[in-house]
Formats: sequence, structure tokens, C-alpha cells
Amino acid sequence: MPVFTGTTRNLIIKIDEFFDDIDLGLLVFREGIKAYLEKDMSAFQRHLQKVDQLENNADKLQRAIENEMITHSILPQHRSEVSTLIDELDEIIDALKSSLNEINIEMPDIPSSLNKNFISLTETSINAAEELIPAARAYFKAPYTVREKLLKVYYFESETDKLSFSTKKIIFQEMNELDLAHKAHLRYIIHHIENISDLAQKAADLLSGMAIKIVM
Amino acid sequence: MILFFLTSGLFLGWSLGANDASHIFGSAVGSKMVTFRKAAIIASVFFILGAVIQGSGTSHTLDKLGAVNAIGGSFTLALAAAITIYMMTKFALPISTTQAIVGAIIGWNFFTGNHTDSATLGKIISAWIAGPVIGAALAILLYIIVKKFKKSAGIHLIRFESYVKTGLILVGAFGAYSLGANNIANVMGVFVPAFHLKNLDLWIFTLNSSQQLFLLGGLACAVGILTYSWKVMNTIGNNILELSSEAALVVVLAQALVLFIFSSTGLSNLIVKAGLPPIPMVPVSSSQVIVGCILGIGLYKGARNINFKVLGEIGLGWIISPVASGLLTFFLLFFMKNIFGINVGSKVTESIIIPEPATNLTMSVQTDVSGIIKYLLLGLFIFGTIGIIFYILLENKKRREMQRSEEKFWKNMK
Repeated sequence: MPVFTGTTRNLIIKIDEFFDDIDLGLLVFREGIKAYLEKDMSAFQRHLQKVDQLENNADKLQRAIENEMITHSILPQHRSEVSTLIDELDEIIDALKSSLNEINIEMPDIPSSLNKNFISLTETSINAAEELIPAARAYFKAPYTVREKLLKVYYFESETDKLSFSTKKIIFQEMNELDLAHKAHLRYIIHHIENISDLAQKAADLLSGMAIKIVM
Repeated sequence: MILFFLTSGLFLGWSLGANDASHIFGSAVGSKMVTFRKAAIIASVFFILGAVIQGSGTSHTLDKLGAVNAIGGSFTLALAAAITIYMMTKFALPISTTQAIVGAIIGWNFFTGNHTDSATLGKIISAWIAGPVIGAALAILLYIIVKKFKKSAGIHLIRFESYVKTGLILVGAFGAYSLGANNIANVMGVFVPAFHLKNLDLWIFTLNSSQQLFLLGGLACAVGILTYSWKVMNTIGNNILELSSEAALVVVLAQALVLFIFSSTGLSNLIVKAGLPPIPMVPVSSSQVIVGCILGIGLYKGARNINFKVLGEIGLGWIISPVASGLLTFFLLFFMKNIFGINVGSKVTESIIIPEPATNLTMSVQTDVSGIIKYLLLGLFIFGTIGIIFYILLENKKRREMQRSEEKFWKNMK
């Protein structure tokens, strides 16, 4: 019987570890962007490596969690939703890794006058994803509190949109010294950072529905 | 020949297993918390235990309704009830074996000119009504308790589900035991007055005549569970109301409690000691109780999720089954008596049996059935042990293969 085996405990530990990886990945991504803006490339490389390692670990955990849920018939009614949620969260850490890699390859020239804007944008976008993690944890322990926790995700996502809009406006309307290719490149980087909060919102939509279903 | 007359009872037992016993684990299997294989094995074992240990209480009530005093009559009654149940099961309608057998006994009473004891019939029908009502009330109460516990305890969802899963297995075992104790009278009750077997000594304990019949009936039910209950389990589990895992646990527990209440002489004696009226020992319709339990939860949730069409179909089955079974019994008895010349029973007037023309198939039969049962049990024991060992080996092999493939996957990824 499942209650007498360690399967349940192991699975709970793995899910918690998966959430920890995402949480830590977000933190490292934020520091990585800051390091890049401050031109501290060794710190940036270190952060990139760390995100890569966390993403790999998250992938392993995702696979292990899904396997255990299927083989031990755990959460049969919510299994597909939990798997989708984990998949959505994994997409966030994948996006963190690919964004840092893009920056590492393309080395965008970000004018120092935009540093503040980029830092704010990164902070807000990462905040949206960070607020998703406690909500996802709450789904398993206190599903009644999930929806109130998700409010912050939606708030930060809309703030990210505003910041992204204003930064792009500055780039395209006020910085006439930059050529169009440079402007487009900066827009592309902004889009990468903004994408994290969009992914968080997508996961939040799913989590919100899951919470209603489980509470009913 | 005697064994041939038992076949209709065994067929009825098979029908009970395929239909009524599936209600115990229907919600659990329907909600995918317990696999069908596990559910079927647990239900089979505990059904047999309940039937043999505690099955005699309710069989007395059926005796009072109509004590079938010829093996030919018992055979025909059981056959008519079994055919009715088989036909209804074929259409995936969860009908009641209790109602089919009561309908058959009334049909026999009509045919033989016996008076149907209205007091006993009233007691049975009132228990049929009380069963689902108590089931619904218990289900609501238990559901509220489980929900409150889940909310206040703050247990991890996965841990809670594993508790529910374990609970479903334990409660399912209890439910199967209660069903065996309560419903075996429907299968073998009509044979008890007409069969007298030698006591069977199994070294640790001894089985009397009725217990041996209940054991045979229980084994037939187990075959029914293993071979044909899958379809009905899905009807119960999914069609009336989509059940959450905790609701499935509550439904099985409430049903098991209701069946236990109506079959436990010990509990009844305890209530009498407390100065309350005794609980009638009546075979309750497990179909009605389970629908009552599911309906209770549906009503608590606001009645939006209930599939009333399926409920209507089930209700229709309840009316059709006793009527169809009664009519079929009447006609089958007519053929048995007038065409095959088999004694199907006689009129009982104030404990005096009016004798029928003598045949070799009257009451008080001593047979070698006990010996057959002994070898059957030995065979089952050996087969069961081999089955368990094979299952463990297979599971271990699967786990090892899974582990190996996982290691290979990550090795290739590197």
C-alpha cells in the first residue's frame, strides 16, 4: 500500500526540489542580467553555467516525477494537470537558459542609459515568475490560497508589459543615435526577458483552474 | 444430479459478483485510484470471508418470506433470478440481486399457493428504503468530515491521496466483507432449507452445511467479480456523478457501514442491550445503497453534477427486476413441474408440509459435496500461492526493467 512505502515521500521531495530549481534559476538569471549590464563577464559566465546546471536537473526531476506518478498510479485524477503544470514551469527555466545563451552568443550592446530600464524590466518579469512558485507549492498543501497568491503574478506580468512598452518606446523614439538593426536587436532582447513573465502568466492560468477543480 | 441443481445458485452467485460486488470498488476503480485487478482480488477474498463467517443472519429473513422446501424449487428460483440479473447486467444497468431473489420467492409463493408473509416483506422493503437514505446521510456526514480534515490538516496533496488510496483498499475490503455477509443469503439462502451437507472439518475450523453453501456461493461470486464486473464498475464509477478520490472513499465506507448495520447480529444485540429496538437482519440492495451514497454527495455539492438520466435508468431497473424475476419464476416453475415432473415445492400450512408425489430430490440430502469443497479449497490455496509468487516476480521484473531503461536514457543524454 502506498502509505507504507517511501514512494509518496520521494515524490514530494522531488516536486519540492523541482520548485527549488526553478526558484533558484530565476534568482541566478536576475543576477546574470545584472552582471552583463555591469560588464562583469566572468560573473555572467558563472551564472549562465549555474542556470544550465539547474535546467538539466529540472529536466531530470520532471521526467522522474512523471514516471513515478504513472508507475505508482499517484494522483490519477490530477496527474495530467500536474504534469502540464510541471511542464509549464520547466518551460520557464528553459526560457531562462535560452535567454542567457542568446545574450552570451549575440552579446547585445545595451547602452548604459538603458541599464536602469533593463534592470527594472528583468526584476519585474522575474518577480512574476517568482510569485508563481509559492502558488504552485500551495496547490499541493493549501489549494484554497492559490488564487490569492496568483494575483501577484498577474500584477507583475502587466507591470512587465508596461515597462517593456516604455523601454521600447525610448529605444525607437528617443535614441536616434542607434541604427535600426541595433534597435531591433535590443527589442529582441527585451522580448526574451518579457517572455518569462508571459510564461508565468500561462502557468498561472492553468494553476488557477487546477485550484478551483481541487477545491470543489 | 444434486450438484446440477446447485448450478443455478452458482450462476446467481456469479451474477451477484459481476453486478453487486462491483459497487464496492466501482467508485475507486472509476476514479482510477485502485486498479481493477487489485480491486477484484481484494473484493473476492473478503466477500468469501464475509459470506462464510457472518452470512447466516440475513438468510433467516428470506426463509421467513418463503421457505422453499424442494431442491427443484430452489434451483428454479435461483435460475430465474440469475437470468433476470444477467439480462439487466448485459445492458449495464446496476440492478439489485436482493430484489430479483425476493421477486422470485414471491413468484414461488404464488405458484405453490403459499402465503407471502406481509410483515417480513414489509420489513425487507422498509430496509430497502432505509438503506439508501441512511447511506446518503452517512455519505454527507463523512464527506463533510473528510473535507474539513483535508482543509485544516494542510497535508500535502500527494500524501493525502496516498492515505485515500490506502483507505479505499481497507474500506473496500470491509465493504466486500459486509456485502458477503449481507448478500450471500440472496444467492444461497433458498438452498439452505433444502440442502443438508456433512460438516466439513478443515483442521483449524469446521464449516457447517449452510457455511459450505455460502462458501460455494462466495466462490461463484468471486468468479463473477473477476470475469464480468469491469463494465458495471465503470457505470457506477463514472456515469452517475464524477467522483473525486475522497468522495469515492466516502461512498465505499458509507455503503459498507450500511451493509454491516443490516447484517451484524452483534451490533443488533448491542443496540437491544441499550434498550433500543433491534436492527432487522435484512439483505439490503447494495445497488440502492451505493446510488443513495453517491446521490447524497451530489446533493451536498449542489445537485448540478448528477446525471439524472442514469439515475432514471437505474430506478427503472429496480422496478423491472423483481417483477421480471417473479414472472419468470412462475413460468419456469410451471415448466419444471408439469413438463419435467420435478418437485418444485409444496404448500406450507401452519408448519405442516402437504406432501408432493415422492421423488428422489426432496429435502435432507447427504452428498459428497463436502469432499468436493475440500479439494476445491486445496486447489485454490495452491493456485493462489503460485499466483501471488508469480505476481511478485513479475512486478519486480517490471521495476528492474524500468530502472534500467531510465539509466540508459540518461546515459545516452550525456
